[in-house]
Amino acid sequence: MKFPSVMKSVMAGAMLCAGSASAQTEIEWLQWFAAENVDGFYESLVEEFEASHPDITVKLVTQPFGKVRESIVTDSAIGLGSDVLGLNMPWTSEFLEIGLLEPLDDYLARDDNSFATADLVQAPIGKIDGQVWMVPLNAFPFVMHVNMDLVEQAGFTAPPTTWEEFSEQATAIAALGDGISGFGIPLSSQPPANGPILTFLPLLYANGGRIMDGTTPNFDNPKVVETLQYIADLNDAGALAPGAASRTGGVDLEEFIAGRTGFLISPGVHAQAIEGRNADLNYVAAAVPNNGTKAYRVHGWELGISSGSDKKDEAWTFINFLLSKDVNARVAAASNALPGNLSALDIVGEGAGDVMQSQIAILANDEPVEELRQAPNAVGSWSLMTEEMQAMLRGDQTPQEAATKVQSRWLDLID
Amino acid sequence: MSKIEIKKLVKRYGEHQALHGIDISIPQGEFCVLVGPSGCGKSTTLRMVAGLETISGGDVVIGDRVVNGLKAKDRGIAMVFQNYALYPAKTVYNNMAFSLQLSKMPKPEIAKRIADVAEILELTPLLDRKPGALSGGQRQRVAMGRAIVRDPEVFLFDEPLSNLDAKLRGQMRAEIKRLHQRLKNTIIYVTHDQVEAMTLADKIVIMKDGRIEQQGTPDEVFHDPDTLFVAGFMGSPPMNLIECFATDKGIKLPSVEIACDMPSAVRPGDKLVFGIRSDDIRPAEDGFEGVSISANVNLIEQLGTENLVHFSLGPDEMIGKTGGRTRITPNQEVSFTLQMQHAYFFDPETGRRLR
Amino acid sequence: MSRVINGLKENGTPYFFLLPCIVILGALLSVPLYKVVEYSLYDNVIVERNPTFVGLQNYSNLLTDSAFWSASVNTLIFTLGSVIGHIIVGTGLALLVNAEIHPRAQTVFRSLLILPWIFTAVVVALNWQLLLNPFGVINYGLTEIGLIDTPIDWLGDPAFAMWALLLISTWRGYPFIMVSFLSGLQSIPKELYEAAEIDGAGFFAKFWHVTVPQLKPVIYGVALLDLIWTFQLFPLVWLTTGGGPGRSTEVLSTMTFRQGFVDFEFSQAATTAVSILIISAAFTILYLRNEKQKI
Repeated sequence: MKFPSVMKSVMAGAMLCAGSASAQTEIEWLQWFAAENVDGFYESLVEEFEASHPDITVKLVTQPFGKVRESIVTDSAIGLGSDVLGLNMPWTSEFLEIGLLEPLDDYLARDDNSFATADLVQAPIGKIDGQVWMVPLNAFPFVMHVNMDLVEQAGFTAPPTTWEEFSEQATAIAALGDGISGFGIPLSSQPPANGPILTFLPLLYANGGRIMDGTTPNFDNPKVVETLQYIADLNDAGALAPGAASRTGGVDLEEFIAGRTGFLISPGVHAQAIEGRNADLNYVAAAVPNNGTKAYRVHGWELGISSGSDKKDEAWTFINFLLSKDVNARVAAASNALPGNLSALDIVGEGAGDVMQSQIAILANDEPVEELRQAPNAVGSWSLMTEEMQAMLRGDQTPQEAATKVQSRWLDLID
Repeated sequence: MSKIEIKKLVKRYGEHQALHGIDISIPQGEFCVLVGPSGCGKSTTLRMVAGLETISGGDVVIGDRVVNGLKAKDRGIAMVFQNYALYPAKTVYNNMAFSLQLSKMPKPEIAKRIADVAEILELTPLLDRKPGALSGGQRQRVAMGRAIVRDPEVFLFDEPLSNLDAKLRGQMRAEIKRLHQRLKNTIIYVTHDQVEAMTLADKIVIMKDGRIEQQGTPDEVFHDPDTLFVAGFMGSPPMNLIECFATDKGIKLPSVEIACDMPSAVRPGDKLVFGIRSDDIRPAEDGFEGVSISANVNLIEQLGTENLVHFSLGPDEMIGKTGGRTRITPNQEVSFTLQMQHAYFFDPETGRRLR
Repeated sequence: MSRVINGLKENGTPYFFLLPCIVILGALLSVPLYKVVEYSLYDNVIVERNPTFVGLQNYSNLLTDSAFWSASVNTLIFTLGSVIGHIIVGTGLALLVNAEIHPRAQTVFRSLLILPWIFTAVVVALNWQLLLNPFGVINYGLTEIGLIDTPIDWLGDPAFAMWALLLISTWRGYPFIMVSFLSGLQSIPKELYEAAEIDGAGFFAKFWHVTVPQLKPVIYGVALLDLIWTFQLFPLVWLTTGGGPGRSTEVLSTMTFRQGFVDFEFSQAATTAVSILIISAAFTILYLRNEKQKI
C-alpha cells in the first residue's frame, strides 16, 4: 500500500469539513495493475473516485502478477477476500469451480451504468454457465515487437507478415552472430511458466488453430502439431535464442529491450516497458506473422466481484466508475493498452503513437481469439506445455509426441 | 643421541627483536635447562630448535646437521608441551603410536615399542583410555611416553610440570631425572622455576630479555653468579641484595658499616650492590665466624628443618637462616653473624659482578 | 496436583511472563500444523466448499504417484548434495580464513565470504540465472578456456540442471557451515597442531587427526541442522528452476507448492507437506538428541 497516510487524514478531515455524515464503506481492490505502473496513477484514480463518492473508500491492495492468483484463492478461503478483483482470463474456470466469482448479469442490466455493455471488449464478457463473470478494464492484442535495426542489418526493409518471411528474417538475424538471436521463446519452468501462452498460442491462432474444443482440451490436433513443428524448425535453423528451457518471460523481454533479439511476441502492453527502458531502440509493433489466418490472441486486465463480498453494490459502483468512457480512456493510456470500453477508443487513439496505432489496426482488421477463459486447469496446462515443448526443442520427442503428451497429461489433470 | 649447537640465534617479530644472538653448546647426553622470567626468550629458543618458529638469524645444529631449514618432523626431536597437547580423540596407545604410524613403522614393532615405554612409565593399564579420562599426572606421563617412543635424538620440554600441583611436580621431577639417567638423551628443558632448574640440570642457561645472563652447572650459577640478575633469580629465598658504598675498610650500609675484603677493582666511595645469601647470615648463637651486626627480627618463616629470619637493617629488609629449633621470636633484638667471605659485590650500573 | 499448584504459586511468576509468548507460539505453530494434517484427510479443501473426509486416501494416492517418488529422489540428491557441498566448501574456506594472514585482510575475506548468506533467494536465483545463461559469464569462461565447445544451458538441460542447482545451493549455504566451523577451529589449541607437526603429520594428516576429531561435534550438529533446512528448502529451487526443465529438479517442497497453488489440489498438497513434516521431524529429533548429549 503506497497510499500516504498523511493524504488519508487530510482527506478524512476534508470530508468532515464538508459535513458528510453518512457512514463510510471501505472496499478492497486486489490487483497487480498498480505494481506495473509505478507513477502513482492508480492511487490518484482512487482519490478521484473517493472525492466523487464520499460514502465509499477504496483500499488498493497491490501485489505482483505472480501472487494475485494465489492470494485470491487463499484470501477467500479464510474469509478475507477483497471485494473488487483484478482478474486474468485464464484463471476463470478455476475460480468458477471454487465459486469465487459473483455473476455480473444483474449489474450489467442496470440502466444507470456509465457505459453500454455492447461497447465493451467482447471476449471477457462471453457467458460461461449462462452468466457473465468479468468485465474488461483494458484490452490488448498479442503483437510482435520488432527490432527494425536488426531487420535492416539482416537485409530486409519491413517486418515479416507471413510465417515464411518470419523464419527467413529470424534466421538471417540470428546469422548476424555476436550473440544476436532471431526470436526468443521463454520456456523456463520457473513460475509462472507461461511461455507457451505468450508465444506459442499467438502463432497457433495466426495459423488458424485452437487448443480447445469448447470447454474440453483438444491439444493434439494437426494445426497444433504444425505450429509446434514450425517452432522446432526455427530452432533447427538456429533462429531461436539458445537456452529456451531456462529462459524466463522476464529475460525474454529484457533481451529484446537490450537489442539482442530481433522479434518478441508478447502482449502489446510491453511496448511501455520497451520504449521506457531503451528509447534508442528502433522499434515497431506489428501483427503476429500469420500462416493464412489473420487472428490474434486477445488479452486484457479484467475486473470481477468476489462472491464472498458483502459490499457488492459499492464494488460495482467502483467498477462502473472505472469503465466510464473518460476514466477508462485514461486507464488505457496509462498502461499503453486499448480501453475495455471501446467507446473510449477515439480518445485513446487521438494523438497516440505508432505502436498504439498498429494495435488499433489489429483490433479493427483481425479476428480476436480467447480460449483460456474456458480452459480447465489453465495454469497447470501451461506447465505441461512448457515441459513438453522443452523436451521437443531438446530433440527428445517429435512435435506430434509433444502434442499427444500435453493432451493426455492435461486430461489427467482435470479429473 | 646428538649434541646441539645453538649459534648466534636471533629472532625478530617485525620491529621487535626477541632474541639477540644466543649461543649455547650442549654436548651429547646433557640435560640443559633454560630458565628465566616470562618473556625472556627461553620458550622461543626452544621452539626454534623444535622447528615451530622460523629462525631470523644464526644456526641451530643438531648432531652434525644445520637444521635451520628442516621441518620439525625431520629434526629428530620430540617435544613435551606445557599443556601436554594430547590428541583428545585418540586413546593413549594411539597418542603414542601416531608418529610411528605416520612414519609407516610395521604394526608389531609399534606395539612392542609402546609396550616397552608404557612399562617404564607405568602406563600399561591406561593404554585404552582417552586423555579426558586421565589425571594430570597421567597425562603428563603420556605426553612423555609419546616423546620417548619416537626414540628421538633430542628431547625438548616446554614447562612440562607447570600445570601440576606441587606434590606431583616433585614426583614428576624425579621421574624425569631418572628417565634421563636411564635414556641418556640430550635434553633442552624450559622452565621458569629455578628449583626445577637446579634439581634437573647438568647445565643451566639463565636468560633475560632475549640474552643469556649466564650459563654453567647448577653449582656455578648458584655459587658464582656473574650478574646481579642471576644472583637474585637463583635460590630461594633470593639472595639479599643491598645498595651500599665502598669504604677503605669495607662497605657502608645506610645504618651500619661492615668490614670486609673488597674486590680489587673497587675504590672507596664507589656505589655497590652487596649480596649475601641467607645461608650465610646466622644468629650469633649458631656459632659461625664472621662480622656481627645487631638487628630487630620482624618475622620467622618456619620451613620445618630450618627457619628463615626476616629482619630490618636500617631501611633494608634482610633474610637470615637458622635451625628448625630456634628460640628466636619476632620483635626481638638479635645479633647476627655475616659470613663475609661468601659476600658478592655487583656494579649497580651494569649489573656485572665485581670480583 | 496440589503440589503442582503450590509449585506454580511459588515459581509461577516467570511462567506468567512467558504466557503471551507461549500462547502466540502455540497458536502460530500448532494451529497450522493441525490444519495441514486435517486437510490431508479430506478429498479437497478450499476448492470444495463442503469437503468430504476420505481418511488416508490422499496418502495412498501419494505413495502410488511416480511423481512423488521421483521428487523424493530429487529431494534426497538435492539435500545430500547441498549438505556435502556446504561442508566441503564451508570447511575449506573456514580453514583458509582461519589461516594466519594480515588481520585486516582476514577480516575483509571473512566478511566477503559471508555475503552469499545475506542475499534473499530471489536475488540469488536471478543472479545465477544470468551467470548460467548460455550467454552468461560462466559459459563464456568455460568456452574461452576450452573446457566446453558450445555454451550449455545449465539450468535448462535435464542433464545439468540438478548439478547447477547444487552449485547454487552450495554457494548460497556454505557460509553457515563456514562460520560455525570457524568458531570451532578457533577453539582448537595451537599446541595440538605443533605436536602433530613434530610427530610428522603433513597438512592432510593434521586435518584428519587434529582438525576433524576436534570439529566432530560441531560437524555433526551443523550438518543435521543444514539437512533439516535444506530438506524443506523451497524458494531457491522454485525461483531458480521452478522444478524444471521437465520435472528434473522437482523436490518435495516445490511439488507441494505445485499441487497447492498451480493445480489447486490443496489436500494432496497438505499430504505431501505432512510427508515432509514427518521426515523433518525425524531429523529434528536426531538433532535435539545430539544437542542434549553435548550438554
